[in-house]
Amino acid sequence: MTERKGPRARLGPSPTLAVLFLLPALLLLGVWMVYPVIYSIFRSLYDATGERFVGLGNYGSIFTDSATLTTIRNNIIWVVVAPLVVTVLGLIFAVLTERIRWATAFKLVLFMPMAVSLLAAGVIFRLVYEQDPDKGVANAVLTTVHDTFSAGQGYPGARPRENDQSPAVAQQDGTVTVRQPARPGQAVLIPLVGLPPDSVKDAPPATAVAPADGVAADAIGGTVWLDVVRGGGGTVNQVDPQEKGLAGITVEAVSDGQVKATTETAADGTFHLTGLPAGSYTVRLPQSNFAAPFNGLTWLGPTLITPAIIGAYIWVWAGFAMVLIAAGLSAVPRDALEAARIDGATEWQVFRRITVPLLAPVLLVVFVTMVINVLKVFDLVFIIAPGSVQPQANVIALEMWRVSFGGGNNQGMGSALAIFLLVLVVPFMIFNIRRFRRDER
Amino acid sequence: MASIVLNKVDKIYAGGVKAVNGLDLEIRDGEFMVLVGPSGCGKSTALRMIAGLEDISGGEILIGDRVVNHLPPKDRDIAMVFQNYALYPHMTVEENLAFGLKLRKMSKPEIQKRVGEAARMLGLEQYLKRKPAALSGGQRQRVAMGRAIVREPQAFLMDEPLSNLDAKLRVSMRASLNQLHENLGVTTVYVTHDQVEAMTLGDRVCVLRDGVLQQVDTPQNLFDNPVNLFVAGFMGSPAMNVTYADLIRDNGGAAVVFAGYRLPVPDSTFAEKPGLDRYLGKKIILGIRPSDFEDSRAAHGSIGGWVRVPVRANVTEELGSEINVLFTIDAPPVEHKDAMAAQHDGDEEETSLPLGGNKSLWTARVNARSHVRPGQEVELVVDTHNLHFFDVDSGLSIGHEANISR
Repeated sequence: MTERKGPRARLGPSPTLAVLFLLPALLLLGVWMVYPVIYSIFRSLYDATGERFVGLGNYGSIFTDSATLTTIRNNIIWVVVAPLVVTVLGLIFAVLTERIRWATAFKLVLFMPMAVSLLAAGVIFRLVYEQDPDKGVANAVLTTVHDTFSAGQGYPGARPRENDQSPAVAQQDGTVTVRQPARPGQAVLIPLVGLPPDSVKDAPPATAVAPADGVAADAIGGTVWLDVVRGGGGTVNQVDPQEKGLAGITVEAVSDGQVKATTETAADGTFHLTGLPAGSYTVRLPQSNFAAPFNGLTWLGPTLITPAIIGAYIWVWAGFAMVLIAAGLSAVPRDALEAARIDGATEWQVFRRITVPLLAPVLLVVFVTMVINVLKVFDLVFIIAPGSVQPQANVIALEMWRVSFGGGNNQGMGSALAIFLLVLVVPFMIFNIRRFRRDER
Repeated sequence: MASIVLNKVDKIYAGGVKAVNGLDLEIRDGEFMVLVGPSGCGKSTALRMIAGLEDISGGEILIGDRVVNHLPPKDRDIAMVFQNYALYPHMTVEENLAFGLKLRKMSKPEIQKRVGEAARMLGLEQYLKRKPAALSGGQRQRVAMGRAIVREPQAFLMDEPLSNLDAKLRVSMRASLNQLHENLGVTTVYVTHDQVEAMTLGDRVCVLRDGVLQQVDTPQNLFDNPVNLFVAGFMGSPAMNVTYADLIRDNGGAAVVFAGYRLPVPDSTFAEKPGLDRYLGKKIILGIRPSDFEDSRAAHGSIGGWVRVPVRANVTEELGSEINVLFTIDAPPVEHKDAMAAQHDGDEEETSLPLGGNKSLWTARVNARSHVRPGQEVELVVDTHNLHFFDVDSGLSIGHEANISR
C-alpha cells in the first residue's frame, strides 16, 4: 500500500465539517454542564454571602455538622438497601411473570408507578402511611393482620364501679379482681361499667350463674356483664334481664400468686373455671381485656421515616427493574436451561447456576443505575417526610436544596454539597459507561 | 444402558395440533436409532418427550423398565446433545463438562477422571480452560458431546447435533459419532432431517411424517423396500423417479409402459412382490432409483439383461465420481400427496422449477466415464430387477410385507 499525502488523502468529512456538526452539542454541554460544574466548585469555596473566601471550610463542615452527618448516614442506608431490594424484587417479578399467562398485563401494572411523577408518588405514600387505620392503607393492613392473629377483642374503658359495694376492684396495673376470694362450687358476679351501651347492643342478655344451677364442685362459675340499663333502672350489682353479657373476656383463678385456671366468658357473659382443688382463689380479669386496640405503626415518625420512604421508592422502581431484567431474561438461551435440567439440575439450581450468572450483566446495570438514582434521591423525601421529622429523613440532595434555597440561603455550602454528591456519583457513572462501551465492542 | 420403549405416544399442543400421533417404537439396548423426517414431522417433539422437556399427552414412555411419563428430566438418567450445542456460556469447557457431575455430588477425583477421559476421547484437552465463545463450531459440538459422555447415562438423545456445522466437518463428525457409538455402545436416539445422516449413522432408521410413524427398518431395507411413496421419495438422494405407468402382460411378457417407454418386468419381481399380479392391466405408480440407471456406453459388458432407454440430457451435475443426468419424460408428474410431501422438504418451498405441460423431470446417476454433456442424446440402461411399484390411490408399495394384510 502506498501512503498518499496531502489534505485530500483522508477518508470521511473534513475537520471543519466535523466541528460544525459537533458545535450544537458542545455548546449545550458547555452551557448546561461544564460551566455550572466549574462554577459550583468555585462557589463552594466561598461563604454564604459569596464574598469571603473560606477555602475547603464548607467541605469541612459537611463532615462536622451533625445534621449533615445524619444526611450522609441516611444516604448510606439508602444506597445499601434500596438498589439491592429493587434489583432482587425486579428479578423475582421478572422470573415469575415469565411463565404465567397474562404476564404482559401483570408487567404493565407493575410498571405503571413509573408513569406517575415522583411528586405524585410522594403524595400517594403520604396517604398510605397515614397513622389512622381508617385513612392509611399501611396501618389498615397492619391492624387487620394484627387483629386476625391476636385473640379476642378488648373492651377498652370497661371498669368496675369505684365504691365499696362493688364486688370487683380495679388494681393499679389495670387488672380487675373480685373483692371476695371464691371457693370452688361458688359463683361470682363481676359487674363492669364505663362502656357505651351501644357498643354491646347486639350481645345476648347476661345470665347470672347461681351455685344451684350446677356449678361443679371443682369449679368457680360467674358472670361478667355490663351493669348498666339503658335509660336507667335495674339493680346495681345484680344481673337484670336487660343487661348485656360481655363475651370473650379472659378470666383467671389465682392462688398464691399463681394462675390455676384460665377461661373466657361465653356470649352471655358466663364463665366456669374448672379443675380447681378445694381452696380459696382470687378471680381476676387481666389487663389485656381492657387494652387499647392496636393502631398500627407510626410510619412517619422519626424512627421509621427512612424505611417508609425507601418502601415508596421501591414501589416506583421495582417495575422498571423488572422490565429491564425481563428483557435480559428473554435473551437467555432456552436450550442452555433445558440442558441444565437434563444434566440433573433442579429448578432452583437452574435459576441459581445458569439463569442468574447469565443475567449478571443486566443485574449489574440495573443495580448501578439504581445506586446513581438513589444517591440523588430528593423528591420522595421532600414530599413524604412531614416537616417535623425532615431532619431525621434528610438526604444529601435535599439538604443541598434546603441549605441553598429552602431557607438556609447558604449557596456556598449548597455548592459544596452538590460537588460532594457529584464526587459520589461519578465512580458509578464511569463504571456504567465502561460497561456499555465494552458491550458495544 | 437401557432400552427405550414408546407405547402409543401422543403429543397434542394447545390449539389441538397433533405433533405426534400414536407413536409406537422400541429402541433396543445399545441401538443407534435415527428419527428422520421433513421438518414439522414431530421427530424433535418425540425426542423432547423422551428427554422429559415436553409433557406427554397420551401413551407411555419407558426407559429401561421404568415408566418415565411423570419423571422430570433430571431423574431420567439421559443426556442430550442440542442442535446449537446449548453450552453454558459463563463456564469454561471444563466446568461445562463437570456441571452434570457436580450436581450429582460426585467426588472431585472422579469428576476429574471422567472429564479428563472425555476430553482425551474428543481431543479437547488443550481447550479445557477456554470459554465456549472462544471455540469454533466443531469444538463446541465436541464439548456438547463430551458433556453427554461424562455423565455415562442410560441413553444419549441427539437433536440434529451436526446441522450447524459446515459440510466437510459434518462428514468427519459423522464418522466420529459412529466410532463413538461403537466404543461406548450406549443406546442413542438421533434426530435429523438429513437422510444421508440417517442412512450412514443408524442401526435402524425411523421415518416419521406428520407425527405418524411410516417405517422402521435398517437403512438398506428402507432404501430397497420402502413401504410407501413417502419413504421412497424421502430416502435416497437424488430422490426416486416416479411416474404413472400401466402394468401389462402381452406376448412379450409382463411390462410397464409409460411415456413411450416399455420396460419388461422380470418374473422374479412377481415372486418377490405378492399381489403385484392383481394390478396387471391397471394403472400403477412406477418408481426407479437414479442409481439403477447407467450409461450404456460407460457400462459395457456389465449390463446383461438391462433395458435400453434413449433420452436427451437436459442438465448434468458432475460430482466427480459420477454424473447426475437430468432428463424429461413425456409423462405428467405424479401428484400423489405422499410423493409431493417427500419432495418438498419443508424448508425449501419449491425445490424444482415448474415444468410446462405433461413432463416430469427424472434423474439418472451414471458413471463419470460417460462424459455426457447437456443437450446430448444418451442411451441409458435400466436395471429392471429393482423397479418399485406403488398403488395409485393409497401410495402404498405393492407387495411390501407390511402392506399385504392391508
